[in-house]
Amino acid sequence: MSQPDHESIVEEIRSARITASPELRARVRAIAASAPEAAPARERRPLPWRRLALVVVPAAVAVALAVSLAVGLRDSGSSGSRDAVHGEVAASPKRSTGTADTFAAPSAKSAGMGGATGLPVTPGRAQLYEAELTLKIGDLSTATKRALRLTHDFNGYVRSVEYGSGSERGSASLVVRIPVGSVQEALVKYSALGQILDQHVTIRDVQPQVDRRFRQLQAHRDLIAKLQAQLESPVLTSAERAQLEARLVAARRQLVVLQKQQAALQRRTSYATVSLDLRTRDKAVVVPHEPGRIGRALHRSGEIVADEAKVLVYALIVGAPFFVLGAVALGGLSVRRRRREERLLATS
Amino acid sequence: MRRRRISDVHVVAEVPSFESVAERHLDDVHAYLVYMTRSRELAEELTAETFERALRQWRRFDPRRGSAKTWLCRVARSAALDHFRAEERRRRRERAYAADLPSEMEDGLFGGLSPQLERALVALSAGEREVIALRVLLDLEIDTAARVLGISSTACTTRLSRALKKLEERMSADVAA
Repeated sequence: MSQPDHESIVEEIRSARITASPELRARVRAIAASAPEAAPARERRPLPWRRLALVVVPAAVAVALAVSLAVGLRDSGSSGSRDAVHGEVAASPKRSTGTADTFAAPSAKSAGMGGATGLPVTPGRAQLYEAELTLKIGDLSTATKRALRLTHDFNGYVRSVEYGSGSERGSASLVVRIPVGSVQEALVKYSALGQILDQHVTIRDVQPQVDRRFRQLQAHRDLIAKLQAQLESPVLTSAERAQLEARLVAARRQLVVLQKQQAALQRRTSYATVSLDLRTRDKAVVVPHEPGRIGRALHRSGEIVADEAKVLVYALIVGAPFFVLGAVALGGLSVRRRRREERLLATS
Repeated sequence: MRRRRISDVHVVAEVPSFESVAERHLDDVHAYLVYMTRSRELAEELTAETFERALRQWRRFDPRRGSAKTWLCRVARSAALDHFRAEERRRRRERAYAADLPSEMEDGLFGGLSPQLERALVALSAGEREVIALRVLLDLEIDTAARVLGISSTACTTRLSRALKKLEERMSADVAA
C-alpha cells in the first residue's frame, strides 16, 4: 500500500457519504413538521456597532445641544429682568442717614465736592462730636501718613488704623480723636488729602446729662456733709451711729462713681471722633456688553454644554476602570470557556 | 407602503422554511456529529437534539449572518459540547474514565472509509475530528469553520493541518505495522 498523503486523505473523506438513518430522518421530519408555518417570521436586523454608533452618538449630541439651548432660552429671560440685576449690582452703597437728634452734613456731591465743612461746636456746651469722612486719594501710603501726622499736630490720637493696599487698589480706615476745639480745622485739613466722596458729621448735645449729673454730685456732697454733721452729735446711740456711718460710706462711694462718670463724659466731649476712610482710585469697572436674549441663550447653552461635557468626562473617568475591568472579566471568561471546550474536545 | 410590501415579500422569500432546512442539512449535521462523537448512535441522538434546539431557536436565525448549514453546525456543536460536559461529569463521578473509551469501533462509522483511515480518525481527538468534518467533509470556508469553532482563521488552518498530519502519521504507522 502506498504512503498516504494529505490530498489522498482529503479526497477519501470527501468521497465518503455519511447519511442519516431512515429512523433519524423520520424523527427530524417530525420535529420539523411542528415548526410554525411562517418561521422565521421575524427578520432580525443585526445591530452593527459602527452603524449604531453613527446614529446614537450624533443623536445624543443633538439631544444635549437641544436641551442646553432650551434651558438657555428659558434662563435668558427678558432683558428687563437682566437689567434689574445689573442695576442692583451697580448700585452704590447706602449712606447712613442722620437720626432725629443728629445732624447730617450734606454729602460732598451735593456740596459741590468742596472742602469739608465741619459744623462748629457750640462753646460752653458739652457735645459729642463725630465725623466720618470718605476720601479718594492718590497715594494711600502718603495720605495715611499725612493723616496720622495731622492728628498728631492737632494734639489728637489714633484710636484705630486699618490699612490695606493691593497692586491696583487699597484703602485705609482711621479712627482718630481730635480735641473738639480743633476739629473744624482738622476736618478741613483732612479733606485736603484727597477728593471728598462722602462726609457725615454728627453732633449730640449731652449738656443736660452733664447738668443732671452735676446736680446729683452736689446732692451727694450735701448728703455727705449732713451725715458728717449728724455723726458729730454726742447724743447718738451706737446703733444710730453705725447706721449713719453706713449711709455715709454708701454716699461717698456713689459720689466717687458719679465723679468718674462725669469725668468720662467730659473726656468724651472734649475730643471729637473722626473716622477717615481713605481709598485709592477704584479699579475701573468693566461694564460688559449686554448681549441680547439670543446671545444670553447661547452663552447659557454653552455653559450647559460645558457642564454636560464635565459630567461626561467625570463619568468616563469614573466608569472607565469599571468598563475595563468588565471587559477584562468578560474576555477572561471567554478565554476560560474556550480553553475548557478545547480540553474537553481534546479528551473526547 | 407598496414598496415596503414588495420588500417584505422579497425578504420572506429569501428565508427558507425550517422543514426545508432540516431536510437539506440533516446529513451534514449528522455527519459532523458522527465525526465529533465517534458513535453513530450518539450522533443520532445529538442530531435529533440539535434539530429540536434549532427549532426552538429558529427565530434567531438570520440568513444574512451565515448560511443555515453553518448555523446548524453551531447548534450541533453546542449540543455535542453539552453532552461531552455531562459525560465528563459522569466519568468524574464514576471514576471510570478509561473504561468508558469505546472498546470497539463501529464498522463503516465514517461512511465507508478505508480501515486505516477510520482507525486513524478514531484515534484523533474530538477537536481534531470536528475541524476535519467542517473543512473537509462539509466543505465550509475557512472563515466559516473558524466562526463555528470560535477560533481565528489561522488557528483553524493550523488545527486542520495538524489533524491531517496526525492522520497521515497514524496511517503510515498502521501501514508499516
